Amino acid sequence: MKKKKRSINTTPRRLLKWCLSAIALVVVVILLYCGYLSIQIEERFSGRRWSIPSKVFSDTTILYPGQKTNRTLFNEKLRRLGYREVAHKPVNKGELNTRPSLIELYLHDFNDPSRHREGIPIQIKFAENQIESITDLNSGQPLLILELEPEEVMLFYGPNRERRQLVSINQIPQHLITAVLAIEDRRFYTHMGLDPKGMIRAMYANLRQASIRQGGSTITQQLAKNYFLTPKRTIIRKIKELFMSLIIELMYEKNEILEIYLNEIYLGQKASEAITGFGEASYFYFGKPVNELSLVEAATLAGLIRGPNLYSPYINIDRCKKRRNIVLNAMYEMEGITEEELKMALPLPVEAIGYASYGKKAPYFMDYLSDQLNLLYSHQDLSSLGLSIYTTLDTQVQLAAERALKKGLTLLEKSTPGLDRTDPQKKMQGAVIVMQPKTGYVLAMVGGRDYSLSQYNRITQAQRQPGSAFKPFVYLSGLDKFTPASILSNESKTYEIDGKEWTPHNYSLMIEERVRLRDALAASINLATVDLAMQVGIDHILRTAGIFGFSTPLKPYPSIALGAFEVIPLELARAYCPFAADGVLPYPLALKQVLDEDGSIMEQRHMSIKQVTTPEKAFIMSSLLKSVVENGTASSLKKMGITFPVAGKTGTTNDYRDAWFVGYTPDILALIWVGFDDGASIYASGATAALPIWADLMNALPQYVSGYWFKMPQGVVQLDVCSESGLLAVKGACPFPIKEYFLADHVPEAECRVHTGENQIERIFDGVKDFIKSF
Amino acid sequence: MGLKILSRAFKYFIIFCILAFHMGFWGCAPAYLSPSPPTQPPETPQVEIFGETDETPEEAPEKPSPRALAALQLTEQGRMFLEKNQPDDAIGILERALNLNPGNGRNYYYLAEAWLMKGNIGQAMEFNRLAEVYLKDDSEWLHRVIGQRGRIKAHEQ
Repeated sequence: MKKKKRSINTTPRRLLKWCLSAIALVVVVILLYCGYLSIQIEERFSGRRWSIPSKVFSDTTILYPGQKTNRTLFNEKLRRLGYREVAHKPVNKGELNTRPSLIELYLHDFNDPSRHREGIPIQIKFAENQIESITDLNSGQPLLILELEPEEVMLFYGPNRERRQLVSINQIPQHLITAVLAIEDRRFYTHMGLDPKGMIRAMYANLRQASIRQGGSTITQQLAKNYFLTPKRTIIRKIKELFMSLIIELMYEKNEILEIYLNEIYLGQKASEAITGFGEASYFYFGKPVNELSLVEAATLAGLIRGPNLYSPYINIDRCKKRRNIVLNAMYEMEGITEEELKMALPLPVEAIGYASYGKKAPYFMDYLSDQLNLLYSHQDLSSLGLSIYTTLDTQVQLAAERALKKGLTLLEKSTPGLDRTDPQKKMQGAVIVMQPKTGYVLAMVGGRDYSLSQYNRITQAQRQPGSAFKPFVYLSGLDKFTPASILSNESKTYEIDGKEWTPHNYSLMIEERVRLRDALAASINLATVDLAMQVGIDHILRTAGIFGFSTPLKPYPSIALGAFEVIPLELARAYCPFAADGVLPYPLALKQVLDEDGSIMEQRHMSIKQVTTPEKAFIMSSLLKSVVENGTASSLKKMGITFPVAGKTGTTNDYRDAWFVGYTPDILALIWVGFDDGASIYASGATAALPIWADLMNALPQYVSGYWFKMPQGVVQLDVCSESGLLAVKGACPFPIKEYFLADHVPEAECRVHTGENQIERIFDGVKDFIKSF
Repeated sequence: MGLKILSRAFKYFIIFCILAFHMGFWGCAPAYLSPSPPTQPPETPQVEIFGETDETPEEAPEKPSPRALAALQLTEQGRMFLEKNQPDDAIGILERALNLNPGNGRNYYYLAEAWLMKGNIGQAMEFNRLAEVYLKDDSEWLHRVIGQRGRIKAHEQ
């Protein structure tokens, strides 16, 4: 009995003890769990909250009165810069009104580390394809120069491919905050992370509408879900979400939580890129910074939270408008807007800016740039630190180059059916690089026909024989001994190389046995060039090539004179720059500046130059290469609409494997290469295959054509010489005197002897002899 | 008969002289084939003064072209950055000015100044040399360029 009594007395006590122990254990576990979660949250929020992809920008665009423009490319540029066409006079930043002879646009703000330009309304008047005037519409003052902001060209994504522009709570307009709270969490500022009232209200509303109209999750819960949890719906996840919400509320201020939420929330999709946060969404849907959003625009964005792709104005404008109006009504219900504001806003249409889902822009240029960036930053840093990377790229030039190449190759394939291969991987290829010769800025780079099919960059990675495009370096090497008027032999000769005989041939049959140096280069005469090379010395030519930056191995064979060795096209283009830049070789510059998230400079690069020849020799080379275009192998340029002075050189290799043209003016230099990757013949010369592409490119870029030519340096003189002897012309004696440029310290001193003096008597005797012989 | 022969010989001699003279003076028929004569007027050098081209250096246009004016705006911005001791910003702007108007020697002068400020003597010297090329005709600026060279050399030492 006693035993039984004891057991009756001890069981409840034990049970109580057990229960208390269990409760204490659960509390300890919960506390430990909360501690664990708070550490997780602390870690996540105290460090870097988001990975922001680094952005690559093009160079700025300079406009000035009197500048010629390609209206098509210019208008495309404005669209890509985010200017949106409106039917009225632009009143907000980013608005554009285009008319046939003028455009009015409200400029975006423009910031770089050293300058800030507030957006202003401007008017650009055109007279045909030339800018007539630029006017600041605020002050009515004419502008002598206008710089358009750089264009975003690429983002370095992390694995999530998210686009995000961070905004602080202070930048976010009150009507956007009201709209978000009205539709997502009305009691945000009063609850502790959980809102039972809100949950009941949402359940009631959803039951009444027989559909899910409202969610019960608070903003803090949504944040916890987005930030830490998987989308999988389980009870454990829900419990974790509740704990996390409470901890977040305990650890952070309300405004801090709201700011994180507004930057974190997913708001749509641009092709494969996720639009996250209101900062990015504001640009994506309305082309403006978040602080410039109107009431209806803010309500539209707030409405997207529930279903970004369901309510996207790009998917269903009516559904988007209905959702927006629900938000507006919710704002009115919580007294965030007045009745008058509601009535004005409800009928307004949803006007999204629209976007072009474009492919990768300037992909070969970007690869070239990435190679340089990867030496400075890891991929992890590039995809997370939100760097701003400024480049020398001109997107108008890039587009013109891509189009010219595509058109040129297609035309060539049509004109020569054997060239049109069906296998896309084996199709004929081409490459273009455009540089500014004085500074080395790389304006555009097209490394192949189609980046999606081949990422092999034929400008930076290929090694091809330049053929006659190398000849200018032979002629430059000869300028110490020879002059443009010197006479070279055009007779066929056989040379011995490593015990083997080599007999060069001309591209076409020529009867002249002697040619002037200028004509030999203009007509690209092989025999005369080899004659020159042998007299100058192959070693001297190799030294010149080295000084001009060719890095590929060159062997001391006479065939070097004809470009029978491989070069990297980028190096060939660069090597021509000194001719257009007073003898100065620039470093090819693609990367200009890297800024961190706060706009501080992390890396800065400038043009870098070194003198490789004298301004005088550079001028003479330009003059010689101008003859190539005026009456040599590139003379067909005139028929292709190129009426301004150009210097350049064609190149064709054995069996027509490569076709080249490198052409330049004082303002711009472009190299074109056409060929097959497998070295098959394209059955066309540089003048037939590459030259039309160059002409097409330049015709599309009137803004880079000044029509100017190089100023003659003081160390160059111009003299009359006999076209036959290359010596000083004797007035009245030499039948075809010509004006020729000479280095001032290397002028012909002797007068023509062919038409004067002893030669004259010899000729008389010769004439007598011939006469007698005729009998 | 003799007179007739003499007369005929004289006639042939005259013809021979004319032909010989003609062949010797005008024929210029060389033993080799000559280069083709120029097919167009000889090249006349063009000059660029403040961005304008002209046939003769003496007749420089007084009014700068809009392009040159635009470039001058950038040059001025670059100069102001130099005054504020911001050589990197100055170089960025001056490079753009150079692209717009490669013939303005002052850009090279200021670029040399900026590189000198940055302590890069090699680049300062290169730009100083180019400034001289373009400012040779401007005695006032040439004086500055020479002075600048002296400063660069002094810095080098």
